[in-house]
Amino acid sequence: MKIFFVTDLHGSEICWKKFLNAGSFYGADVVILGGDVTGKAMVPIVQRANGTWEASLQDHRDTLESEDAIVEFEKRVMNRGYYPIRVSDQEYVAMQEDEVLVDKRFKEVMLDGTERWIAMAEEKLVGTGIRVIACPANDDMFEIDDLLSGAQVVETGDEDHPIQLGEFTMVSMGWTNPTPWNTFREAEEPELAKRIDTAIAAASDPETTIFNFHAPPYGSKLDNAPALNPDLTYVSGGQAIRPVGSTSVHESIKRFQPLLSLHGHIHESKGATRIGKTLALNPGSSYEEGILQAAVVNIDEKKRKVKNYQLVNG
Amino acid sequence: MAAIGEAPALFLRKATGLVKGWSKFDAFLYSFMSVNFVTLGLFFSLSVIGYVPAGQVLPALLISGAFITCLVVTYAGLISIMPRAGGDYVWQSRVLGGGIAFVLAVTGWWFILWYWTPIYASILNVEVLQPLAAFTGMDGLLTFLGKDIGLFTICVVTALLAGYLVSLGMEGYARIQKVCFYLGVGALVLVFLVMLFGSRAGFESAFNEEAANLFGTTGNAYRDTIAFAGGDAALPADIGLTPFFGESLLIIPFLCFWILWPNWGSTLYGEVRGASDFKRVMSGMMWGLWVTIAIAVVFLLLASKFFGWDFFNAGNVNFINYFYAYTDSPGPTPVWNYPPMLVGMFFHNDLIGALIILAFGAWFLGWAGTLFLSSTRVIFAAAFDRILPEKVADVSERRHVPVWALVLMLVPSLIVSAFYAFTTVFKTLILDATLVIAVTFLGTAIAAMILPYRKKRLYESSAMARYKIGGIPLITVTGALTALFLGYNLYKWLWPPLSEGNLYAINNADSLLFMGGMYLLAVIIYVVAKIVRKSQGIDLGAIHKEIPVE
Repeated sequence: MKIFFVTDLHGSEICWKKFLNAGSFYGADVVILGGDVTGKAMVPIVQRANGTWEASLQDHRDTLESEDAIVEFEKRVMNRGYYPIRVSDQEYVAMQEDEVLVDKRFKEVMLDGTERWIAMAEEKLVGTGIRVIACPANDDMFEIDDLLSGAQVVETGDEDHPIQLGEFTMVSMGWTNPTPWNTFREAEEPELAKRIDTAIAAASDPETTIFNFHAPPYGSKLDNAPALNPDLTYVSGGQAIRPVGSTSVHESIKRFQPLLSLHGHIHESKGATRIGKTLALNPGSSYEEGILQAAVVNIDEKKRKVKNYQLVNG
Repeated sequence: MAAIGEAPALFLRKATGLVKGWSKFDAFLYSFMSVNFVTLGLFFSLSVIGYVPAGQVLPALLISGAFITCLVVTYAGLISIMPRAGGDYVWQSRVLGGGIAFVLAVTGWWFILWYWTPIYASILNVEVLQPLAAFTGMDGLLTFLGKDIGLFTICVVTALLAGYLVSLGMEGYARIQKVCFYLGVGALVLVFLVMLFGSRAGFESAFNEEAANLFGTTGNAYRDTIAFAGGDAALPADIGLTPFFGESLLIIPFLCFWILWPNWGSTLYGEVRGASDFKRVMSGMMWGLWVTIAIAVVFLLLASKFFGWDFFNAGNVNFINYFYAYTDSPGPTPVWNYPPMLVGMFFHNDLIGALIILAFGAWFLGWAGTLFLSSTRVIFAAAFDRILPEKVADVSERRHVPVWALVLMLVPSLIVSAFYAFTTVFKTLILDATLVIAVTFLGTAIAAMILPYRKKRLYESSAMARYKIGGIPLITVTGALTALFLGYNLYKWLWPPLSEGNLYAINNADSLLFMGGMYLLAVIIYVVAKIVRKSQGIDLGAIHKEIPVE
């Protein structure tokens, strides 16, 4: 069985399209998006009083004078993982002043975006025999869970819903240890450990179990992130690196020893490591550049072993 | 509060990774310590200008600075296009292919660092330990440090120190580096003030007296130093700006040993960013480069005023000639006329002299950690790409130390150090240490030049796509100018052969064998890895193949 695993696409449309093509490209039986499906930013395209549209991307202010120009701009925005929104001058100012309006709009665009992605998957993969799995994680609001679980081709899983991959069981955990950003699915380590225990209860045999835990194990070098000051600026120009993974995840891998443990969350910490017998991988993420970082894992089903693996930049 | 008509700003939600950038000073600090004026500049680049008596160092410095500015823009551009990628190896892999990238990256960021270990050790020896031994009257130690076994011992100490600093992690080291910066700059300011307000006659007299006290010289050591170097006729004329080109250009390949590295280390970049981040990355490196050049210009003018240009160059030439075994004697003084030591002598007080040397030691300590840090990153990246065995990326769980990566650095470093310490020919290959990294940078400059055309989508999605000169992408222009600059230096280093008078002493059989051996080793590792991985069902060529979008 060949698994193609990616993580942290954060709304990047180009990465999602590559993800849907990855099964046939790499000959994978199943393509998995481990977590963090949705984007982090909205880019307002503001209609001015004179009828023209204005927007800023990457610190550059654009005036968009035709519908074609707006569509082209929206495409650029979506490829970076942001959501373009068309608003009037007044709407824009109102949103600047009211967080509730922003949250509401975020929810709308994220759900729309996820629905569009599901539709693309259905169009692309129905009848191909390639399974596609997308799981929510800490940066995804809870509302997308229902959308994902209601989809036909796209499967999803969380701590209560393990996924069978042949005779292997994939246990998923989108919750993470606390971050400085106070995101949707965070828990202190003791609570996270309990959630993990609940999830693992669905798996019986370590040799046929795969962990899809968004948070990487603490101190595993899959969890190295630049240290931050309290004001969220980098310590020492970004040169200071700290392990920021979860101790509960580390402990659970050590204890249970699954065949494979797949992680994400820390985009800059691409890598592979062994924790006891378990191969743990974090393919990292370069979603904004449209590069699909991934792990291709070949599993020998008879021997119940990882035959080989490769971290790729598709 | 927003107002109608303002440039529309992004709406961000709470999400992991949304950092707010970093202080420009921190970015400057790392770059500034990498183009280290005291360790790299004084030890070699500014010590060898006496070998080009008809050239002028100031124009060479300014011309180099202009071209290295292009290198800075090129690297900042690559960082903005492919952030968090890990530097030269990944940039080159994506644009030029995995094989070329592996060979250039491991030779430039790993193998040649083995040779930098004894260079670091030599700097520690002649800039810190020997002057300290002299000021503290430890003659036995001074004699030991001047011997081959003394140098080898310092090599071992340096390798262990660099390994320890890696194990400390960059966060701990960054704190040390900051303290070293303030201490080192404070000492430099003090020395500059002495050089500014002290007279040359006063220095000459102090040098003669203290050289007699510390080293037992007799007569006029100041004049003897100049005479030993061949006298004024053999030394550069007064410092100035003419010729701006011509012979002055010959100094540039020497300067690269020191000022080619403002880009050392800066590979990070935040998320949801724009052109302002590109400018911030660039300005950190740019300040590091140009503040260093400004310090060097001030120093050189003060050296000419206070030491006397002929004496300054004579002391350096005598040291270099002896260090590289071109002469049998070091001249009137048995140690290098290290400028902070000379200023220390001006005080006629050994304690003050020793304190100045110790404070200048901060320039070494704040820089020594860079020796192995980059190498471990490249080793990890190659292991993740399955070119090297998985094991070499292991990190000790208890101490978080990259054990195997350090072994792969330390053991060969000590072997190379032994060759360096106990043979004369190995010491003269010093510019190999620059050349091999320059070749790696050349690969990156070429990758940057063609990136907008070979990786169009990647380039166009970045903030860099907006910067153009005459319709040509800025990164293509600066990449080309960087390649031109590096190409000039490579040509000068390698042509003509040493037997026909090569100034830089590295186009000879020993040097070519040494460098060729490293490239061959890299090629062998890659080919073996490709064959072994293929037998395991892994195609190394697939690592950077782009998945179709539609």
